[in-house]
Amino acid sequence: MRAKRAVIVSFLVLSLVSAILAQRRFGGQRPWWYDEDDYVATPADANEKTEYAFARLKYPSWGRPFNELWARRGNWTIDYPKADRTFVAGVRRLTRVHTRSVEQVVDLDSDEIYNWPWLYVVEPGHWELTDKQAAKLRDYLLRGGFLMTDDFHGTQEWEIFMISMRKVFPERAVVDLDNRDAIFHVLYNLDDRFQVPGVATFGSGVTYEYDGVEAKWRGVYDDKGRIMVAVCHNMDLGDAWEWADNPNYPEKYATLAYRIGVNYILYAMSH
Amino acid sequence: MFEFFFKYPFAAFSKGQVLLAARWPVWVLLALILVAAGALAWPMFRRGHAVAPRVKPIAIWLLQTTMVAMLLVLLWQPALSVATLRPQQNIVAVVVDDSKSMSIVEDSVSRMQRLKEALSPSVVADLQKKFQVRFYRLGARAERVETTANLKGDSGSTRLGDGLREVSAEAASLPIGAVVLLSDGADNAGGIDLETTNQIRRFRIPVHTVGFGKEKPDHDIEVTNLELPQRVLATSRLNAQVSVKQWGFANKRAKLTLRDGDKILSQREITLKADGIEQTESVSFNSGNAGVRSVQASIEPIGTEENDKNNAQTRLLTVEPGKPRILYIEGEPKWEYKFIRRAIELDQGLQLVSMVRTTQNKFYRQGIEKPEELEQGFPATVEELFNFQGIVIGGVEAAYFTPNQQELLKQFVDRRGGGVLWLGGRGGLSDGGWAASPLAELLPTVLPNRKNTFQRDPAYVELAAAGRDSLICRLDEDPARNGDRWKKLPYLANYEDPGTPKPGAVVLAEMNVGRNKMPLLTTQNYGRGRTALFATSGSWRWQMQQPLEDMSHEMFWQQMLRWLVSGTTGPVVSSVNKSVYNDEQSVPLRAEIRDRNYNPAADAAVEARIVKPDGSSETVTLRPDPGTPGVYTANWGAAATGAYVVETVARRGDQELGRDAVTFRREDGVAENFGTHQNKELLEKLAQQTGGRYWQPSEVKKLAGEINYSEAGISIRETRDLWDAPIFFLMALLLRGGEWLLRRKWGVV
Repeated sequence: MRAKRAVIVSFLVLSLVSAILAQRRFGGQRPWWYDEDDYVATPADANEKTEYAFARLKYPSWGRPFNELWARRGNWTIDYPKADRTFVAGVRRLTRVHTRSVEQVVDLDSDEIYNWPWLYVVEPGHWELTDKQAAKLRDYLLRGGFLMTDDFHGTQEWEIFMISMRKVFPERAVVDLDNRDAIFHVLYNLDDRFQVPGVATFGSGVTYEYDGVEAKWRGVYDDKGRIMVAVCHNMDLGDAWEWADNPNYPEKYATLAYRIGVNYILYAMSH
Repeated sequence: MFEFFFKYPFAAFSKGQVLLAARWPVWVLLALILVAAGALAWPMFRRGHAVAPRVKPIAIWLLQTTMVAMLLVLLWQPALSVATLRPQQNIVAVVVDDSKSMSIVEDSVSRMQRLKEALSPSVVADLQKKFQVRFYRLGARAERVETTANLKGDSGSTRLGDGLREVSAEAASLPIGAVVLLSDGADNAGGIDLETTNQIRRFRIPVHTVGFGKEKPDHDIEVTNLELPQRVLATSRLNAQVSVKQWGFANKRAKLTLRDGDKILSQREITLKADGIEQTESVSFNSGNAGVRSVQASIEPIGTEENDKNNAQTRLLTVEPGKPRILYIEGEPKWEYKFIRRAIELDQGLQLVSMVRTTQNKFYRQGIEKPEELEQGFPATVEELFNFQGIVIGGVEAAYFTPNQQELLKQFVDRRGGGVLWLGGRGGLSDGGWAASPLAELLPTVLPNRKNTFQRDPAYVELAAAGRDSLICRLDEDPARNGDRWKKLPYLANYEDPGTPKPGAVVLAEMNVGRNKMPLLTTQNYGRGRTALFATSGSWRWQMQQPLEDMSHEMFWQQMLRWLVSGTTGPVVSSVNKSVYNDEQSVPLRAEIRDRNYNPAADAAVEARIVKPDGSSETVTLRPDPGTPGVYTANWGAAATGAYVVETVARRGDQELGRDAVTFRREDGVAENFGTHQNKELLEKLAQQTGGRYWQPSEVKKLAGEINYSEAGISIRETRDLWDAPIFFLMALLLRGGEWLLRRKWGVV
């Protein structure tokens, strides 16, 4: 009888703790940015055949799969799919690029990558490419593909990013982009850029994460002086796209993020 | 034999006319023959021979009737009316080919030696009995000589037409009764033109030809021609058309090489076709940097050839230093735009200026020379648009262009001589309203008159028949491998129905969409320029889907855009009518001058500075051609052999309209090494057209008898009896003897 009571009490205590924890993580007091996990409706024209689609690269995470929560889901899924769909809505409105309303997930292990000459990689500070994947990405880029990286911060994530990048291009350096580079002028003149913060530090008064105080606009050039890999370090354009429709997210960051994204697409489609 | 039976030689009958000399009417003769036939038939059938087999009395009757008919014909005095030359009052021109090809030794004896043997003193004496004989030595022209004994076959060239024209021209003042041409028929001027033939026929001079030399060599390979464009862009791929004939090496493999000096431009093996059949091989190569190339096509000798000096031909090629500018306008950002730009960036010989409409109100410009270029959008003035040599129109609606710009585009092709390429795509072709636009006539296809012709579905490509010979579509030198490469190209990302090709348009590549096949690449000439339609904007997959080292995409687009501007000239275009002048000095210079708007400039001052092979130069003034505004001509004599450069400068007042250079080559004696076997066809044709006859050398001794029958010179028409020709007596004998034998055999006596 005593044992039965102990079991019942334990069950009730565990239920209560779980409920409290659940309230803390996802409950009414959860920050607004957890809306990312909300259901995103599929647009009616999702199957439209277009010239351009926001191609999100699916890659294996660093130390997968037990290091952290996102690694289990895959770091490539950060901000997915709301950032993608919110951003392409802007691309459709602002440019003449025939753009699909939904994203395209592209697995680096498949040859499908060659059908999408523009790729977006989120959180490459957590990627870990195999030799085979690195070789394929290199081949893709040299054939004329374009890679945009975003949402990784600080020295440690840079180092992790570079471990895989060195596999892709052992002989090519990642360099700071000059303000005069066409990528900053193809549509919008983006001479005055600033750090676009992610939501992780929102409300703390700072726009950076870890030691990534200064936004870095970097890239890898091909032999003809064209950018193959555009590296956005110490910023989170994906969050800015994702929350552009949220009144809590400052408009100036969203605007810059859109402009950068549009320029990067137009650059990739013209160089 | 003919003369024995018919009393006179065959030539007399072929030149003359057989007639009945009696005054009695011919109908009386026919009536008598009929009466005789009837009279002979009546008793024969009346006497009951009808019971005998029919064939016997009919045979007897036929023999008898023929006999009577022949006798009646003889009563009407058959005769031959023929014109004959008056003895010793006419000249026979004996024209002896003294070119180098006559010194070729065959079976240990040279052709000239055989000629001299054929034209022996006895043959000459026979001729001289009837005619005055004049000897001519034929090389670059005909020269009179006293005797043929000293001829050695050493003239650098043979110009049969020119020589015969000169000899026949003497007929205006001399009684030339006939021409006897002794030659191998090898001619450096490409044969005898119609004008020469007509002149000879006008004087009614029969040309009797005597052929020397083998009609075909036993073992020889000859490069008969090398076709190259006179001018080409730097670092261009171009085709050389090499024509080859062979004898004795059918189905053998031979190595065909293109060289510029010591540098091998291209080399490949060919399979030789049947004896005497001319085959044309297409060899492509890169023109290299600007300058003048001396391109030689040669076939390495196989085994022992009788003549190894005819295994190569050389032509000059002017590689122009300019970098043509092409304007590419695209209606929206697309991958095709990016990858075309990338392909052309690898081509040092082209400059691609592009403008892509990124937003509704903004174009992004690339490749411009100065910040303000194209700032106002697509060119709207002649000066701005005609500054380009080619235009590429991507997915831009026709309505984007103003009526003025549309007219300019038309003039760009028609008057400027530029090239325009349309690409398929959203907003292009029919979907862009081009089918109903005034510029639809420029397009090489009749576009479908409907919308939604652009589809983002796979389209599989293959080479069309005409594309196999096109430089645009040449992804591999070997035609079979080239076709395979096209079949293996990744499918196109999209396609647009281009409609049906217009008459005169050429489909170079096709695409398969489901079960439908439609033109992918269609080209045509329009006015002075050219237009093309590439019905997709999805060829970028050829780059992204193929290994990095595969250059199909780059090659195709470089060749496509080079074709687009290949014939787009500047305001001054100078030309000569041949790239090589063999044994002829007269060079006709021609220049077509246009003003800045590319209208013919009839009031220009045009001078050509000719740089000679020794480096010295001479300036020639070109005069306006009264029949063609803007065209200026001059004739100039190039005495020395070697390479010449002609730079033409046109001015209007102090203003220079433009300048252009062209090259040509002068050669002496080289052509004699080609076509060295006897050109019997030419000699036979010449004899036939002029009323003469082709003779074998062994028959020459009969010449004196036959050339007597001629209407040229001083001739008389004679009527010669034929009744006493042996043939009639022989026939009479056969007819009567035959009848007697048949009657004996059949017992119907």
